[in-house]
Amino acid sequence: MESINPLLSELKRVKQKLASYKIELHQARGYLQCILQNSEDMIFATEVSGMLISFSKSGEKVLGYSWEEVIGSQVKDLAKDPAAFEQFLNTSRQDGSSVQLDLAFQHKDGNTAYCNVSLINLTNREGLRIGTVGVCRDITLWKKIQDDLVRIDRLAEMGRIAAGVAHEINNPLAIINEASGWAATVVSDAKGIGSEDRQELEKATKEISAQTKRCRTITHQLLGFVRDSELSKTEFDVHELLNETISFLKPELKHSPIEINTRFMPGPLNMNSDPKLLEQVCVNLITNAIHAVREKHGDKGRIEIRTLKTDSEVEIHFEDNGIGIPQENRQNIFELFYTTKPPGKGTGLGLPICQNIARKVGGKITCQSNVGVGTTFTVHIPT
Amino acid sequence: MKNQPIIRILLVDDEETLLEYLSKRLLKMGHTVKAAFSGEQAIEVANREHFDVAIVDLKMPGIDGVETQKKLKEIQPFLQCIVLTGHGSTETALKSGQQDAFQYLLKPVNYDDLVAIIKKAYKKKSQTQEVKFKEEVERIYRSGLGAHGIKKAIAELNKIYGID
Repeated sequence: MESINPLLSELKRVKQKLASYKIELHQARGYLQCILQNSEDMIFATEVSGMLISFSKSGEKVLGYSWEEVIGSQVKDLAKDPAAFEQFLNTSRQDGSSVQLDLAFQHKDGNTAYCNVSLINLTNREGLRIGTVGVCRDITLWKKIQDDLVRIDRLAEMGRIAAGVAHEINNPLAIINEASGWAATVVSDAKGIGSEDRQELEKATKEISAQTKRCRTITHQLLGFVRDSELSKTEFDVHELLNETISFLKPELKHSPIEINTRFMPGPLNMNSDPKLLEQVCVNLITNAIHAVREKHGDKGRIEIRTLKTDSEVEIHFEDNGIGIPQENRQNIFELFYTTKPPGKGTGLGLPICQNIARKVGGKITCQSNVGVGTTFTVHIPT
Repeated sequence: MKNQPIIRILLVDDEETLLEYLSKRLLKMGHTVKAAFSGEQAIEVANREHFDVAIVDLKMPGIDGVETQKKLKEIQPFLQCIVLTGHGSTETALKSGQQDAFQYLLKPVNYDDLVAIIKKAYKKKSQTQEVKFKEEVERIYRSGLGAHGIKKAIAELNKIYGID
């Protein structure tokens, strides 16, 4: 019996130790679980084959898949380019140490999610590789900002190039303009040409003049877009400006029963901004509305202009019941040269110029549209 | 173009083809037109002949439009300058504004608009010149010169003001 006692005490000691290990293990697991569940990063583990055996909660946020949906599948299948991911996995396997790379993943909703991925070999106590752990930081937003910056930069560069080209074109255009004008004079004075030929020549010179004028509109608009003119702020009545703009556009509405209604706030709406620039915005937006309405109703249709003053800004709403702008086009409407009109009908400059002006006076333009119902453009100008 | 004033126009642009057609059209209307293909040439011509209106291109090799305009006005203070440019920069426009450009126009200009502006510029030139001329004539008569002296002074004045 005596020989049992040390064994019993040894057993007791081991039991105690085991219990404390259990607690430690429990704590460690809790700690890891806590990290796994609360980390903003998507953390996964695979076995040697690359099959997913763990997938953190945030993975759901980053890629849209729940744990149950992905466990057992190949991790590379989550990537946009599985072959590239496989290669990356191999590098990690060979290197042993952690490797990092920015990779594109396929979100459940079809979008692309970008992650900065770190892969680390998972080893057992003998140092044998039993799988891979990946920590993926979601950089989709960052990537989008970066892309936006590149795009804005490219647009600005495009604008500068376009202005340069416009300038170079203005000189030859001026020559064409004068030469065709001179030709028209010569034709009208010329003797010895038949009336049919004269008519043909007159028609041709007129056409040259008309097309030169068209080019001129484009180059002048382009130069206006890039020109960084100083703001000339002054006190003016927005209602008066709108009424003047509408009467200025009246000839455009001759013979067509398109209604332009105004629903202004009572009294004058005075503000301090650049009326010349804002007039250009109003002309462009009303002209667009007329085109949208015309495209749907022929020469019928309705445009309503409303004003609103809040604590911080003046809002001018231009509402039409025209064709509307499809969702997929809406994000492009403020892009330089973007147009859905047939060649010769739209330059893709009107809205970018408007947005540019709105920004210049510290405001912005927003757009709401329903296909087949109509569109409302709102100009927000800070007071 | 009956009953229309004959306007003496100086065209300054390094685009020779443009000047060729522009001068043909203006000549056809009955105006007197001289073309200069650089600022330097324009100054040379202005030293010999009187003009009512100058149409000056802003961007030229050598002396540019702003400088040309300044020099032309030194030689003929009543001359009205219309500045043409293919450039959209208002900064240079402002600069030429400081040199009293009668008007600043972006190329290509509508010909009818240009003619209307030339007429307006001519009117301004005639008016300011007339006022100043009358002042000068009165000054001469008050100066107590003899008949011969007055005749000589007025002939001198006519030469300065470009009046035949």
